[in-house]
Amino acid sequence: MERRKFLGIGLTSALLLPLGVLATDFRKTKPVTWTAKSVNDAIKALYGDVTLKESKEISLKIPKMTSNGMSVPVGIKSKIKAKTVALFQNSNPESAVSVWTVPENGIVDYNLKIKLKTIENEASVVTLVVEGEDGEFYVTHTSVMVLGESCEG
Amino acid sequence: MNNLKIKAKSKNGLVKAKVQIKHEMMTYNVAKRKGVNANFITYVVAKVGERTVFELSSSQFLSQNPILKFKFLAKKGEILTITWRDLSGDGSSESIKIK
Repeated sequence: MERRKFLGIGLTSALLLPLGVLATDFRKTKPVTWTAKSVNDAIKALYGDVTLKESKEISLKIPKMTSNGMSVPVGIKSKIKAKTVALFQNSNPESAVSVWTVPENGIVDYNLKIKLKTIENEASVVTLVVEGEDGEFYVTHTSVMVLGESCEG
Repeated sequence: MNNLKIKAKSKNGLVKAKVQIKHEMMTYNVAKRKGVNANFITYVVAKVGERTVFELSSSQFLSQNPILKFKFLAKKGEILTITWRDLSGDGSSESIKIK
């Protein structure tokens, strides 16, 4: 029996990825979310007309200031048990950045780097929305001053 | 074809994973300027066996060659499979053994 430490399967173009029955691709199920310009419109497109509760149980960790809008580090945590987690910002042409589907017993502790457009003399506001397992929607915001060239150089 | 760099280490059953996907993440604005099609990662999923441990739908606003970090419960030796897909329908899948 051949023992393999590393398995590599490369698939390119015209491909049908075998996704599980419960796979959720919000790009397909909620397309309007991704074209919405304002944060409120994107949240509405994704979750409907929901009440957002400010919460300290969810957190966004982003530097207060950055000179590299092409790669802004974002840390996301939630102590509240979540179904989905969504990230938005108000400086780019569209506001939705990403939506995580939290698996059963999932841990919401994510890190990623995003692009933020420079707005002259104005900080960008990044918004985190957590869809709780309890059916409530929690929100927190943080500001980032993006200096220098626009995110698309 | 090697777009994926995956690192996953389990400590007391908690795995810290770091995935880098080599992708230009060409936004609509830049694509227009260059006269090419926009193309960026739209979906990433990580599984341990049949169990999904991470799932992300994303936009053109992730940085180029995005690095994603996440945590989940699994043991050393289990197989972690990362699959990604982009706007054009391309994608790939790679598996590693959790250390």
